[in-house]
Amino acid sequence: MLEVKNLVTSFGSVIALDGVSFTAQEAKITTVIGANGAGKSTLLRTISGLEHPSSGSITWSGKSLIGKRAEDIVRDGIAHVPEGHAVISELTVEENISMGSLFRRRKFKADVADAQDEMFELFPRLKERRKQLAGTLSGGERQMLAISRALVSRPKLLLLDEPSLGLAPLVVEQIIDSINILCRTTGLTVLLVEQNANTALGVADHGVLLALGKVVADRPAAELRADANLRAAYLGY
Amino acid sequence: MDTFLAALFSGTSRGAIYALVALGLVIVWRGAGILNYAQMGQAMFSTYIASTMITNGNSYWLAFVVAIFVGAVMGALLDILVMRPLSNKKKTELLSSESMRAAVPVIASLGILGVLQALAGIIWAAEERGFPSPYAQEGFTVAGTVMPFTSFDVFVISVVLTTLLLTSLFFKKTGVGLAMRATALNAEVARLSGIRTNFTRSLSWAFSGAASSLAGLLITPTSNLSPNTLDLVLIIGFTAAVVGGLDSPVGAVIGGFLVGMVISFVSFYGAPEDVFLAILAVLILVLIIRPRGILGAKDARRV
Repeated sequence: MLEVKNLVTSFGSVIALDGVSFTAQEAKITTVIGANGAGKSTLLRTISGLEHPSSGSITWSGKSLIGKRAEDIVRDGIAHVPEGHAVISELTVEENISMGSLFRRRKFKADVADAQDEMFELFPRLKERRKQLAGTLSGGERQMLAISRALVSRPKLLLLDEPSLGLAPLVVEQIIDSINILCRTTGLTVLLVEQNANTALGVADHGVLLALGKVVADRPAAELRADANLRAAYLGY
Repeated sequence: MDTFLAALFSGTSRGAIYALVALGLVIVWRGAGILNYAQMGQAMFSTYIASTMITNGNSYWLAFVVAIFVGAVMGALLDILVMRPLSNKKKTELLSSESMRAAVPVIASLGILGVLQALAGIIWAAEERGFPSPYAQEGFTVAGTVMPFTSFDVFVISVVLTTLLLTSLFFKKTGVGLAMRATALNAEVARLSGIRTNFTRSLSWAFSGAASSLAGLLITPTSNLSPNTLDLVLIIGFTAAVVGGLDSPVGAVIGGFLVGMVISFVSFYGAPEDVFLAILAVLILVLIIRPRGILGAKDARRV
């Protein structure tokens, strides 16, 4: 279980997260929704150690993540796919994927190869393009690659930041489906940040609505989806 | 014809050394976003250490290996003790603009260069001394005529080409090489992949230090050694790096050989005094016609 309590993260005088508390249950999809600038990305970046909070606590399976570095938090089983198809364009598809498991090579040599093969099974299009530079991929393929890069680290918790950004609806559906299947079959815990609330709430178990750095609703996804008032006030549809 | 061949040969052997210097600069530039002005100061210092070892009766080869090792250690220490703390966001928060923050490490490297040159002057005195070469510096004799190519040139070219080949294999084929490339290209994604970017960055500095120490060892037999002799080499290496595209290691090597040729042909057909002018002309021409260099990426930062 991921437990976030009274988390405050600020950039200079700008407070991006203003006392955020919520929990994400194991083997479930929890989505964090909210408008642009609500602090969704900052929340994920703080959990994965890219930003450091000024106060509050983050615990993952009972262990505190505060003060840890991003490169060590990955080793605790938390993988972060940041916003904007974060792959390295100048590296090949294969290199991008193996980059995600470099730190596991010594201890889990055999599994590293297995994990790579699983990614090619999950996203067969990546297999066809394994020798190509990531920069030559389409937006959807790049997002699949970014997710693969994260998954080969064998995470227990996957932090996904706006996987739908700039992608065609059909591709979004394909990506969300794969994540859903992964969660249901392997027990992966997913924390999904989305601006596209409808898509996110459709697949998630639980929803957290963020506005201006504060949690304004924390409920089962279906309930949140049905609340017309909240939708009108915070999501604008 | 003889002059042409002589220029060609000397250009190849000099170019190989400039390629090393440029590669050292590019690897740190890509890995840390810093133009390291102290690079040839480090090389000068390690070459002095080698020179002292040889004077004290050690073999050339032992001194050669030690100098390269010292170069690598100096590079890593420079990163750990100076550059990493200076790039720390929190400590530089007082500086208002991003460009000022980026300038701090570069200015620090100039300072380090000054310190290294002053230290070398204090320890080894400032007058020029020679540095031995392991092979003869007389030209080969083919059918009675002395060719403009020495066995030392052959040594230089083969050492540099081997180094370049091994470097490229290291970066392409090993996990650490991949980690270093990933860190240089996108440190955030690298960290999220579990790569210890502080470590890989220091490795880049170490590599750059070793490469420039090697360049120092290879160039001083023909240029002599003093605290300032390698200043010009840094400028030439920088020109080579810009010609090739500051963020491309392959470009750096091509740029090195190209600039070596220009220098060689100018000094054989013109006057040695014109060399500096020619380098400057090449640098300015490249900056005007193709600021990103031969192989540089489109959005490379301009210096």
